[in-house]
Amino acid sequence: MEFNFNIVLSNLPTLMDGLKITLLSFTIALAIAFPLGLILCGMRLRKTGFAARLAQGYVAVFRAIPEMVMIFWMFYCLPPLIGFKLSGLTSGSLALGLVSGAYLCEIFRGAVQSVAKGQWEVSDALALPRRAIWLRVITPQAAKLAIPPFINHMTELLKGTTLLATIGVAELALRSYVLGAQTFRYFEFLTAIALIYFVVIFPVARFAEHIERKLAKATS
Amino acid sequence: MEIFGEMDFSAIWKYREPLLWGLLTTLWMAFAAFFMAVPGGLLLAFGRLKGGWIVNIPIMAFVDLMRFTPLLVQAVWIHFALPIFTGASMTATQSGLLALTLHVSAYICDIIRSGITAVPHGQWEAAKALGLKPYISFFKVILPQVWPLVLPALANVAVSTFKLTAILGILAVDDLMKVANRINNMVFRPIEVYTSVALIYLACGLILTVLAAWFERRYGSDRLDRIAVERPAPAVIVHNELYGR
Repeated sequence: MEFNFNIVLSNLPTLMDGLKITLLSFTIALAIAFPLGLILCGMRLRKTGFAARLAQGYVAVFRAIPEMVMIFWMFYCLPPLIGFKLSGLTSGSLALGLVSGAYLCEIFRGAVQSVAKGQWEVSDALALPRRAIWLRVITPQAAKLAIPPFINHMTELLKGTTLLATIGVAELALRSYVLGAQTFRYFEFLTAIALIYFVVIFPVARFAEHIERKLAKATS
Repeated sequence: MEIFGEMDFSAIWKYREPLLWGLLTTLWMAFAAFFMAVPGGLLLAFGRLKGGWIVNIPIMAFVDLMRFTPLLVQAVWIHFALPIFTGASMTATQSGLLALTLHVSAYICDIIRSGITAVPHGQWEAAKALGLKPYISFFKVILPQVWPLVLPALANVAVSTFKLTAILGILAVDDLMKVANRINNMVFRPIEVYTSVALIYLACGLILTVLAAWFERRYGSDRLDRIAVERPAPAVIVHNELYGR
């Protein structure tokens, strides 16, 4: 048994193209998920009414269905229903974005509700207008609280982009799998991409933990 | 929309038996992986807290590696690359289950570890003052206080274990997702097949979520109130908000 990692190096440009597609689908999904999460959060924070129920239902449904199933559904079922073709990258990223929107909604909501109640009472006592309470009092504090879980979810989303391999999007995981199959050098290629994912995600996740610790220290 | 008129769900009904088997495979794999991962994660957490650096560093490396690489990559690695290493080839189900268990146990390790550290240190000291042996104080004093603390997070991991099983279909594990792909390849009715499968997953996922919430109410929060825990950090509050409570 011998390992030859030179074969990975000579195919590095192909893998890097794959990484680009991975990051592209991550960006598309985030661009969908972030505003969606904010809107859903706004709807859910109203305690009653149709909008709150709708958002609640959306979050429950999209958190219960596996991302994989969502991706397949968007890839096979959405194009005939809407009547025009979608590439694997588009429909896959759309699925990931819609699922992430539900998670981000919960993250934002949790952060807003963790802002101390006294902040609302003080703002009311000072007769601040509603807009100012939201924009200048609650949101800055909530945003700080939301950063660690938000970053953690971003790492989950990046890991989720590997699922696009199953609908034939030539992202990092699929490319290395195909290269491994062509050269029978599974070990080298699969180890290489595991390392690439690790190198991308590890610093980000550690950064999130760092902020989390700092926040915990600042408030205790 | 004439597309709705053309839909034909009879193919799904025809293949109800394989679909049922696929669902059972999905459920037992999720169940097995989760209940192997809980003791696994407990062991890792214990080693992480009580072991010296010789135990600590490999565990840290393992947990980080499992948490920061995608399950899909891990599953493919274990199925295709590990046999080159060990010489023993595994069936798709074995490697799928192994990958899922290892992945989930890393998450559970982190959860239990934070649970153990959240129990006030005075509990250890009190147990010691009462002359309890270390392993008895861990299992009889500390651990019973850890479970209610970590229950919301564990319930969440249980639901996501169920969701992650859908990934194992790529290794030719005949779970619900793979069965759906096979049926679609035969009848070529993607809309009907994938919509039905999504609905089955949705039903199972919702049932699991409700079960998890019930479990939390029954064994989690009301016991939590009786335990003297320090005021949780905001991050913990956010975490609790996010994962139920």
